[in-house]
Amino acid sequence: MTPDSAPSPKGRRGARVSGSPSSGKPAKSWNGNKARETAWGYLFTSPFFIIFFIFGVIPIIYSVYISLTSLENPLDANEVFVGLKNFRNLWHDPEFWKATRNTFSIWFFSTVPQMVLALGLASILRNPRLRFRLVWQTILLVPNITSGLAIAVVFGQLFGRDYGLINYCLQFLGIGNIDWLENTLASHVAIATMITWRWVGYNSLIFLASMNAIDNALYESASLDGANRWQQLRHVTIPGLRNTIVFMVIMGTIGGLQVFAEPLTFGGGQTTGGSSGQFNTVTLYLYRYAKDLFNYGYASAIGIGITFIVLIITALNFLITRRIASED
Amino acid sequence: MAHRNFVAKFTFLLAALALLVGGLVAAPAKAAAKVTLNIWTFGNVIEPNMKTRYEKMHPNVKIVAVNKGGPDQLAQALIVAFQAHKTPDIAAIETSWSGLFRDYPQYFVDLRKAPYNANNIKKDYVAWRWAQGTGKGGEVIGLPTDVGGLEVAYRVDLFKKAGLPTQRDAVGRLWPTWDKFIEVGKNYNKKLKRCVDKKKDKSCFIDSSGTLFTAILNQGTEKFYKGVGKVDYQNRQVRAAFNETGKALVAGLGSRIAPYSGDWYAGMNKGSFATLLAPAWQLDYIKQYAPKTKGLWDVAKVPGGGGNIGGSQLSIPKAAPNKTEAWKFMSWYLAPAQQLTVFKEYGLFPSAKSLYASSAVQNYKDPFFRNAPIGKIYASGALKLKPLYEGPKERAIMAIFGQALGRIEAKKQNTSQAWNQAVADIKTALDR
Repeated sequence: MTPDSAPSPKGRRGARVSGSPSSGKPAKSWNGNKARETAWGYLFTSPFFIIFFIFGVIPIIYSVYISLTSLENPLDANEVFVGLKNFRNLWHDPEFWKATRNTFSIWFFSTVPQMVLALGLASILRNPRLRFRLVWQTILLVPNITSGLAIAVVFGQLFGRDYGLINYCLQFLGIGNIDWLENTLASHVAIATMITWRWVGYNSLIFLASMNAIDNALYESASLDGANRWQQLRHVTIPGLRNTIVFMVIMGTIGGLQVFAEPLTFGGGQTTGGSSGQFNTVTLYLYRYAKDLFNYGYASAIGIGITFIVLIITALNFLITRRIASED
Repeated sequence: MAHRNFVAKFTFLLAALALLVGGLVAAPAKAAAKVTLNIWTFGNVIEPNMKTRYEKMHPNVKIVAVNKGGPDQLAQALIVAFQAHKTPDIAAIETSWSGLFRDYPQYFVDLRKAPYNANNIKKDYVAWRWAQGTGKGGEVIGLPTDVGGLEVAYRVDLFKKAGLPTQRDAVGRLWPTWDKFIEVGKNYNKKLKRCVDKKKDKSCFIDSSGTLFTAILNQGTEKFYKGVGKVDYQNRQVRAAFNETGKALVAGLGSRIAPYSGDWYAGMNKGSFATLLAPAWQLDYIKQYAPKTKGLWDVAKVPGGGGNIGGSQLSIPKAAPNKTEAWKFMSWYLAPAQQLTVFKEYGLFPSAKSLYASSAVQNYKDPFFRNAPIGKIYASGALKLKPLYEGPKERAIMAIFGQALGRIEAKKQNTSQAWNQAVADIKTALDR
């Protein structure tokens, strides 16, 4: 890869490389001993792998073991091996499947509008006539660095049934109060709004970066062909952003399956996810079994259940990605 | 060249090592002079002024009070700390967690033993609060801090509008039982009509009828356990409390505002509810979040005579590094004299019953609440309660009952449907 990896016709005079001139030996160089290079490579990357092994792989293996056991008391470590009992219970658990449906519903409401909004914001930011572009870009990132708890508290107030600002505006429009907490769909929309507000700026900047990578020549030829801005968006921008959109859907799915802090705070700190579990998510369900019911075996089983769902989604993503990529 | 490089590197390494060793040697020498007490707390359990006062009295002691954010976070962190054998010197445990830690006295110092001899000061404290710090084998694992208590804070101006008496003793006589409380509430809503008219600014009798459940439960002697390890959440007491709360919910007594939510703080200011079942520490919330309503609230006796919500214990984990110093601070902080200071300065009601008859408590009047004798009211309430056994899964069971009451409130189910589902949910959750 390096420019001087080709053997130098000047041979071993070693004038270009550093070394101790007094000894006359060629000093170590980057294109020297291949085995030594590989060894250095392993050495430099090993810290990551060691830490990942200790804190990532071993806990996963241990939680698979725990999912096959049942713990009698929270503070005692006397687990009893019960085989697949937790998984059988999980399969027949209506609350788990409800949490799964809720998770997907929240994911849908937070991902789809977010993509559209991010695309729109990126298009606006890309406009050469926009002034103070850096200011707008910075403002867009502020929600992302705000404390999640603060967001949840403020949005909890905004979505208040009697005195929340959103219902106040809805009353003006004649729609009337919506019970954001009790109504299933409304609670999903409320939680999805929190997530969208947090991530839309970040995603729009990613879109912006990708948009800037689209060749201007394509836009020029499109406008020469008589395409207006809307048609340019549909036929030049979005196809050019295909890979970015796929990337964002994958990232959004991974994040969406782990939604936890928002339902927890929306429900006032209760881990039940609403009076009929209407905004319970799979990760919140896991947390409840681990931290409130101290049933680590069942919680681990839920975790493995989540893993399977993630694997299925990833496989689907992969198939769709391949089809999109092959269209190029 | 290489040689000079080598000398430089070696000297640098030597200097660094010298600094390190020097630092290590110096540090223990300093630590011998000062003891650092590590305390885990939440909310205002450890008042900062009191902490500074103790440090002034004992210059060799430094107190680091770590606020863990909330009682649940603290308890979860404590469980992890037990496993890691690295605990603080003192931990504040909220009473809803006492049920769990009571089953694990082996993780705490038994304060009955010498040199603590906690039984010597047992008589100073209210019996049912002392019982909350007792382990399953009778060990004393925690000392009580404050008493939450429970009385009714009511809006004098709204009661007047509804034609109800406004003087606090007369108001207390309106509702000796919970049934009468519900009757008064129904009449109030009917008279003022704002509760039913969705267009107007909503104002109902109480913030959430669901608050009746905890209040009624805590007035009894049995909660969700028959004794150590024997879960029993379908007993008469629980059923009665649930049904009574169901009655209030179905009657539409409440504004359906959850305590501590955004709507609740706003509602306090706007008069969305005429009554609040208030522990002593919640009166402070009203003062803080609705200062403009000064003089509009008063305090009357709660149906049933007394009640309690909240409170905490201070305990010393077994793995605490400075047990003796911890006990010295703890016994000082919770002694009747200091509890009186905390009551006067911060309004937290003491658990030291020897104070209840004192003039400081009996004559304490709060101008925010029209000079109500808060001390006298809460003291008589605190003396009426009996020890109540709470077990390990108490919080989880309570959450499921809370869900059931929420369903009744949202009109998703009626009382018996909600009860049946709650019982089934608890069974599944516990039996898994």
